[in-house]
Amino acid sequence: MSTAANTMFEGGRAAPAIAATSGELFDRDLILKYMAAGSFWLVFAPTIGAIVSIKFNYFDFLGHISWLTWGRLRPVHVMGVVFGGFSTAVIGLTYFIVPKLCGVPMYKPRWGHHIFWMWNIALVVGFVSLMLGYNSGIEAGEFPLWVSIPVEIVLCMLAIQVVVTIKQRTEPRIYVSLWYLSSAYIWTAMNYAFGHFILPYSMPGVNNAAMHGLYIHYVVGLWITPAGLAVAYYFLPLAAKRPLYSHKLSLVGFWALAFFYPFVGTHHYIYSPIPYWTQTIAIVASMMLIIPVWTVIQNFYGTFVGGWKNFQDSYPAKFIVIGALYYLLGCFQGSTEALREMQRLTHFTDFVIGHSHLTVFGTFVVWATAGMYWVTPRLARRELYSKNFAQWHYWLTVAGFSVMAGDLTIQGLMQGTMLQAGTDFVESMVAMKPYWIIRTLAGITMDLGAALGFWNLYMTIRHGKEIPVPAGAPADYLPEPKWS
Amino acid sequence: MTDKNNHSESITRYETSGIEERHGIIPTWLAIVYLVMFVWMVWYTIAFWTDKG
Repeated sequence: MSTAANTMFEGGRAAPAIAATSGELFDRDLILKYMAAGSFWLVFAPTIGAIVSIKFNYFDFLGHISWLTWGRLRPVHVMGVVFGGFSTAVIGLTYFIVPKLCGVPMYKPRWGHHIFWMWNIALVVGFVSLMLGYNSGIEAGEFPLWVSIPVEIVLCMLAIQVVVTIKQRTEPRIYVSLWYLSSAYIWTAMNYAFGHFILPYSMPGVNNAAMHGLYIHYVVGLWITPAGLAVAYYFLPLAAKRPLYSHKLSLVGFWALAFFYPFVGTHHYIYSPIPYWTQTIAIVASMMLIIPVWTVIQNFYGTFVGGWKNFQDSYPAKFIVIGALYYLLGCFQGSTEALREMQRLTHFTDFVIGHSHLTVFGTFVVWATAGMYWVTPRLARRELYSKNFAQWHYWLTVAGFSVMAGDLTIQGLMQGTMLQAGTDFVESMVAMKPYWIIRTLAGITMDLGAALGFWNLYMTIRHGKEIPVPAGAPADYLPEPKWS
Repeated sequence: MTDKNNHSESITRYETSGIEERHGIIPTWLAIVYLVMFVWMVWYTIAFWTDKG
């Protein structure tokens, strides 16, 4: 483990005792680096999204510069949120969660530092490549080969670290977060290779489209969902200061997700030349996801029953609770959207975009944010820099995001209804204009909240009020900050 | 309290993390949801296996 203060935090007032010492279970220096990088990407990628959304309102906005056109920025936004913001935060939290649940340090702890640089350099090169027009053409798998190879290596290294650490654990029982995390890394190491090394180079035509449906939904269902659930399940009982409601429900939720999700992806191609029975299986699997989702919701809210007073003073708890609400709404929307009649109405409309934002941002990015709020002040051993910034972060996120999700959903239903009634396509586009303006304003609201919140976390590391460490406290002592 | 209740209320503590979890139950309303969804799954799969036009 590192013995020197992290260079990222040098200058100004250095954080107290940031350096890890021997005997520490986890590497505080490393995790805080991930939190800082994750914060940066979580501001960068949504901001690109807001810029992209302006192009709906002013179609020639930045359109004269090739690398700022819609077709190049949109992949930067999608890949930026999924792999930049969400994944960087989750990888950092993995280096905290896994050792804490296993009772042993991470296997090959130095790998964490190598992975940090490989991952972030790959992201920078990836986004520049996308803006220069190098794109593999697979949605959510758009990085070119020279970026995909280091990313794949990172995913394999992480899978090995997590699985071997679990094997070496001293805790007798494996907590649900470890099931989700280990599965997420193994599934994603395989799926990423599938989407980046196989799909773009083989299977032409409709088979490629069908397989792409599977790939893109594996990114959502076998990476973002289990990784996000791992984070939420870990911080939920700690933030609520209550025991998890039900181990039994954790089992049902995990296995239902693992069983049904692999069949979901083809629901993007209902009414296509893909065999009818394949579409039916995708629809059935999508609807059956109601089981793991409602199971998780019962487990989350059941945990909070009797502990709502802790909700008031805890930003991690607030973000987990609101994320769970978006999870319920977004996943119900996703399940029912797969039904043939709903597909007919909503396909090719912004209803689908509303659904993807509700799940990826509203649920999983929000849960990752909860984890970042829990971990950062404790590892930095400082109070949250500003309670007001955190409050603004939370409420701007809730307000901006709720408006955006509602706006996109209503707009999609309206457009679908108009098209079904035989309205001219261009006329339906003109009718969407006010909704696109609202979407942009809502997005900017969310981005402002994120900028304030993640600046707050960075300033917590740099300038938060120090929390005294009791004499004789262990090396991995975690203080209890006031607002986190 | 019956043995069954004792079992469902039993709490496991993960020492290093400080996390606690109940063995817990599956609430009746959720069990009904599982049943309804299972029946619907069987019906829909059979009814819509092929396109009947």
